[in-house]
Amino acid sequence: MKKLLVAILLTIFSTSLFAQEVEQKTAPQKAHYNISKFKQLQQELPTPNNEHRASGAPGHEYTQQQVDYKMNIVLDDENQKIFGEETITYHNNSKDNLTYLWVQLDQNMRAPNSLTSEIKGGGPDPLYSPSKFAKTFMGKPFQGGFNIEFIKDINGKEVSYMINKTMMRVNLAKPLASGENYAFSIKWWYNINDYIADGGRSGYEPFPDGNKLYVIAQFFPRLAVYNNIEGWQNLQFLGRSEFALEFGNYDVSITTPKDHILNATGVIQNPKDVFTPAQYKRYEQAKNSFENPVFIVTPEEALEAEKGRSKETKIWHFYAENVRDFGFASSRKFIWDAMAVKLNEKTVMAYSLYPKEGNPLWEEHSTRAVANTLKTYSEFTFDYPYPQATSINARRQGMEYPMICWNYGRPNEDGKYTDRTKKGMLGVITHEVGHNFFPMIVNSDERTWTWMDEGINSFVEIYAEYKYDPELFPLTKYPKDITRYMSGDQSQLAPIMSQGEDLFNFGSNAYGKPAAGLFILRETVMGHKLFDQAFKTYAERWKFKHPTPADFFRTMEDASAMDLDWFWRGWFYTTGANDIGIKEVKKYYVTDKPTERAEKMAKRYGITVDKLPPALYLISEDSASFTDDLKSKKPEDYNLLSNYINDNFSSEEKTTLKAPKYFYELVFEKPGDLVMPIIVEIEYKDGTKERKQYPAEIWRLNDAEVTKVFPSSKAITKITIDPDEQTADINLSNNSWPKKTENKFEKFKKDQIKG
Amino acid sequence: MQFKKIIIILVAVPLFSFTMHKYYVSLCEIEYVKEQQSLQITLGVTLEDLEFTLNKNTGKQLNLASKIEAKNIDAYYKKYLNKHLLISVNAKNQPFKYVGKEYDGDIVRFYLEINDIKTLKSIEFTNNILIQEFEDQKNIVKIKVNDFNKTFYLTKSNDKSSLKFQ
Repeated sequence: MKKLLVAILLTIFSTSLFAQEVEQKTAPQKAHYNISKFKQLQQELPTPNNEHRASGAPGHEYTQQQVDYKMNIVLDDENQKIFGEETITYHNNSKDNLTYLWVQLDQNMRAPNSLTSEIKGGGPDPLYSPSKFAKTFMGKPFQGGFNIEFIKDINGKEVSYMINKTMMRVNLAKPLASGENYAFSIKWWYNINDYIADGGRSGYEPFPDGNKLYVIAQFFPRLAVYNNIEGWQNLQFLGRSEFALEFGNYDVSITTPKDHILNATGVIQNPKDVFTPAQYKRYEQAKNSFENPVFIVTPEEALEAEKGRSKETKIWHFYAENVRDFGFASSRKFIWDAMAVKLNEKTVMAYSLYPKEGNPLWEEHSTRAVANTLKTYSEFTFDYPYPQATSINARRQGMEYPMICWNYGRPNEDGKYTDRTKKGMLGVITHEVGHNFFPMIVNSDERTWTWMDEGINSFVEIYAEYKYDPELFPLTKYPKDITRYMSGDQSQLAPIMSQGEDLFNFGSNAYGKPAAGLFILRETVMGHKLFDQAFKTYAERWKFKHPTPADFFRTMEDASAMDLDWFWRGWFYTTGANDIGIKEVKKYYVTDKPTERAEKMAKRYGITVDKLPPALYLISEDSASFTDDLKSKKPEDYNLLSNYINDNFSSEEKTTLKAPKYFYELVFEKPGDLVMPIIVEIEYKDGTKERKQYPAEIWRLNDAEVTKVFPSSKAITKITIDPDEQTADINLSNNSWPKKTENKFEKFKKDQIKG
Repeated sequence: MQFKKIIIILVAVPLFSFTMHKYYVSLCEIEYVKEQQSLQITLGVTLEDLEFTLNKNTGKQLNLASKIEAKNIDAYYKKYLNKHLLISVNAKNQPFKYVGKEYDGDIVRFYLEINDIKTLKSIEFTNNILIQEFEDQKNIVKIKVNDFNKTFYLTKSNDKSSLKFQ
């Protein structure tokens, strides 16, 4: 095998003039399919059709269902229950007749008999609180899950339905034809979970004085997506892989205790009813405050409100257009501040609601971080199309819904906080507000592809955070932070292109790795200009639509004229990692005497050496026929070359000719599975440095090792591969020539003694 | 007193399962360098989770890696590491020397060393760092001896492993 390799290499490096010697095979070799890492992705990607085009754009037959909701919700603070009655209008825009609809009952994941607890393996917990013990072992589980009181059509007639865990099939009396609507009502209630004790993406946080802070989401029966990818997307909700939802208009009234402050997806339709006159005035004033946030509900008002327990109620009326979901947060404890944000073509509002426990961190940063996120993401994609974005402070939460999200981050009780607390809070706000773009607007299927929203969002998040605070969020972390994960044991890795429930290290797999991959594409492979245009094209093509991974991969290539199939294949479809090293550096000098290789070549042709055409040769320093006098010779010392130059170039041209003195052969090795560009930093004897980047395609014909001849007028003293760690190289021990003998541990130890 | 303790534990056990961003992994690289007769241990731990744990254990706000960090922080680290990272070499418990620590973004990296290991016949290790507080915590242990590499994943149900060289 090795011999054959050498033969192949020789053919590549000599010219095609010379015939190849036929190797004697000892055993017949096995054939193989195309195993090139540059093989196009046609077999992996679905066949394009008139809904999802080969260009990655939506096709002329692309359709999408619309679902509108009109809901009356009652929040029972005293008993931690929520009641709702909703009328759903389903618009069948598909070309198909539907005989049933699937409705998602996400709260059933918290029901005592849920699939989530059944499929969770593992031994006993390290410790059990009494309540957890009773819940787990003594038949007293939390009575969560939906209680459906009725499902009726618009004539008040009962509708038949069947519940399978978190999915409910609503049977239609007659098929719903293409282009028709169907309206029906559901009445329901459920017990709200204490998410601090029982976990969950929503629920309430109890405070020692009895007050509660509610963050309420996936709280109403919601239609599943019907499309030409999955049919009905009715994969069960197990708690981790998030949601797939249709766009529609929401008209929602929420009844709360009179002393509660609430915000939700959409815009308040009755601000004068729910705010005091002073609050309403500030609510309006905030619309012109572009520099600093202003209070709508002041800390003093919140402090006053949390003392009461009003028995009276009030109704908050919201309307939200073209959203895929609805969430709200409510508490007596909320302080509310607001700021206007000017985007390219429009002005939107940034809001934050937080209890006093969030201060001074929240009044300082939350709304500003929301504004910064909307601006940065709008530059990468499109102007934020919704009227507002809200950040809610909820302990230990980080979860997104259209226009509203829950974010953790609170100072110590004495009001002090570390940079890390601040960083965590800014990070989560940027991340969750950023989710408005992916997936709330560019609406990928989260249930199947966690990376499409988490990964793409985490990628843009990098730049938004950097813009907010470059010291706290340096870009140099990326992509090298992912190498820890990518160098892990293969049995603990899954390709990015895996369903969310099947991932081992969820965070790294679905957030960190895709984000790092896109970062490499933008910073190293494509460059900002090509990447940004293609990325924007993807966002614009698929806003308010349901893109698939193929639509993203295809658009990025279609809009940039870059073949990235090798990148998608390696980074997204495999668990491979990058490891490129410098294996060997050989020095060559110029001679006019034929080298051994030239002699061999002549022999192969059956000619004598003197019959070779006049030529110069590069001879390796370690070659047997090398003599020391060659070291002092420059190429132009040979008449053969100087005559040629004199005959062919004007004196003006001659001044621009380079006169290399040294010739290096650089041998790069690639123990890693991935292909990546080779970034080489060359340091010369005089201390100057030079950078050279070879495209990933350099590995096309040899996946293990490639060689480059590098001419230079100065002697090279040091070579470093990927000096800025731009390519997620998991093993840096082979990245230097001459080889570093000291490992990281010894270097640290030495510095420690010095310091 | 008993009652108070229970409360603290209850409050302290976080159910982070749905919080985004989290990566409950520590990485412990153990390399045997024969020329130095030394076992070099590099251990990277998520700062946020370690702070949570140490604050809980000590009842103090240690404010790791910040301007207001507790002054004798290395003493807290040493104490914690000695309790939760146990290594025995050639069937003999071996205390490690705390060479130092470095902060690198969201993680703290500890450098620990066991000296005078003339030959390495076997190594046994327990690593239950952060496991009590974070039930999804995984502690990766990578052993490197010359060209030999092996990776172990330690979890709450299995926080111990060993390796023999013949």
